Amino acid sequence: MRHLVATHLHDRRRSVLAWGLALGLWSAFIVSIFPSIEDVLSKATKGYPPALKEAFGISELANVEQYLQAEMLSLIVPLALGYLAVRAVASGLSGAAESGRLDVLLSAPVSRSALAAASFAATAVELALVLALTVALTALGSVLSGAGLQLGSAVAGFANVWPLALLFAGFGVVATGWSLRTSVVTGSVAGVLVSMYVVDLIGRLDSDLSGVRYISVFKYYGNAIEDGIKPLAFCGVAVTAAVVATFGAWLFERRDLSG
Amino acid sequence: MSVIETERLTKSYGSVRGIEDVTFMVEAGEVFGFLGPNGAGKTTTIRTLLDLLHPTSGSARIFGLDSRRESVAIRARLGNLPGDFGYGKGSTGREALALLARLRGIEGIGRAEALAKRFRANLDRPLGELSRGNRQKVGLILATFHEPELLILDEPTSGLDPLMQEEFLALVAEERERGCAVFISSHELDEVERVCDRVGIVRDGRLIAVERIADLLGKAKRRVRLELTEPAGLAELEALPGVSELKVEGRRASFLIGGDPDPAIKAIAGHRVADIEIAHPTLEQVFLTYYEEGGAG
Repeated sequence: MRHLVATHLHDRRRSVLAWGLALGLWSAFIVSIFPSIEDVLSKATKGYPPALKEAFGISELANVEQYLQAEMLSLIVPLALGYLAVRAVASGLSGAAESGRLDVLLSAPVSRSALAAASFAATAVELALVLALTVALTALGSVLSGAGLQLGSAVAGFANVWPLALLFAGFGVVATGWSLRTSVVTGSVAGVLVSMYVVDLIGRLDSDLSGVRYISVFKYYGNAIEDGIKPLAFCGVAVTAAVVATFGAWLFERRDLSG
Repeated sequence: MSVIETERLTKSYGSVRGIEDVTFMVEAGEVFGFLGPNGAGKTTTIRTLLDLLHPTSGSARIFGLDSRRESVAIRARLGNLPGDFGYGKGSTGREALALLARLRGIEGIGRAEALAKRFRANLDRPLGELSRGNRQKVGLILATFHEPELLILDEPTSGLDPLMQEEFLALVAEERERGCAVFISSHELDEVERVCDRVGIVRDGRLIAVERIADLLGKAKRRVRLELTEPAGLAELEALPGVSELKVEGRRASFLIGGDPDPAIKAIAGHRVADIEIAHPTLEQVFLTYYEEGGAG
């Protein structure tokens, strides 16, 4: 399986660079402007409606970690990485089916489950690489601008996105069990991603509806840049992602692969 | 033990027909042609053999192994060229070979370099930059580089130029000599006639005939044209079994003959013959006969 993972990563190397650079440079920009807008932000956030602060996980914007959480880690990075995850896993399954590669690979002594597992594992590595690149560029931005970002906090904040994004890779494998069209796979899982975010947002805004948050993975996401990684939530979501992917591999094994 | 053995293999897509009750065998060292027009069920049969499609009923055994439950073990011993071969635009043939070799547990890429030289295939350009014919050459190399015991080829000469088609036919003959069983799906009747030992003819998802090429051609009607030294009626020919469409114009005559030609030859021998031509039937004529007459299997 390691050969399949290595090939998948080799094929996706440009994607790792593109996503890592885009998110990293954006994040570095956010961090680097913080010292120049710190005072203005502090005054402005005092005037923000409480519901808005709650929705975006903003307590105060008194330091660069809080600002990074509000600008990047509460919305953009989780949604972007969730989408990247499903794109990556689909490229190894439905994308391979569309290009004809799946037929060639399945001429070799390799099971469909192994292909699905390799695609999922490679996606896990790809997400980690993108996050590592993002953290590195963010830290570089902080050093160059003197923003004073705590590296440990930044690593925790970005690493916390990994299991969440991985869950959507798992959903991607499940979707491949139903359809071999990449547009259907990515579209349906992206819909689940956005829906989960909206459900969690509604639950946070309306205390009467807070129970609905349990069906959204964002309930377990938290604010790791300030509070640190919660091991139970981190591992729970990662294990759930693996279980979902296993179910998807089972579906993929059972389905017809029409030419 | 047969290399491929199917027993009433059936695949339907809901109410839509795929293949129905397909039963045949392919032996080691045999080249088996699977003939039929587009949509007849050739690719469905191949994909079911390879476990890409799951049969609705019936069974297939390859190397004595169940195609459904033991497909991974089966695929370790075969090579497959899918119809309309593709592998993604960015990868090169060499990268694809390297991965397949690793998945097969092979050191290096075997005889792929020699095959690439023989087929004038470029293994170092991205497949997306190659023409269809050049991609097909890479596909052939991927299917054969590891010297499999069974080759399954779906429309293998699609896109190949005539020179490369000749090279392909030579390769198939060499594979047969090596003891490899070859299953070729095609509607290129000429190549099937030249290289196959037996053919199966599939129509509307059903296998309507499985014959040796020689038997199939022997059953077909041949056109006989003869020229006598002087006009003759040749009425006695009409009464012979297997003779039809007799036309006589002066010293020239032509007719179709099916089955044993000996009585007709003896009847002609009663006249002084200036010239005679017996046209060898092509597989295409045989194939069309099966299709037009609803199968004589």
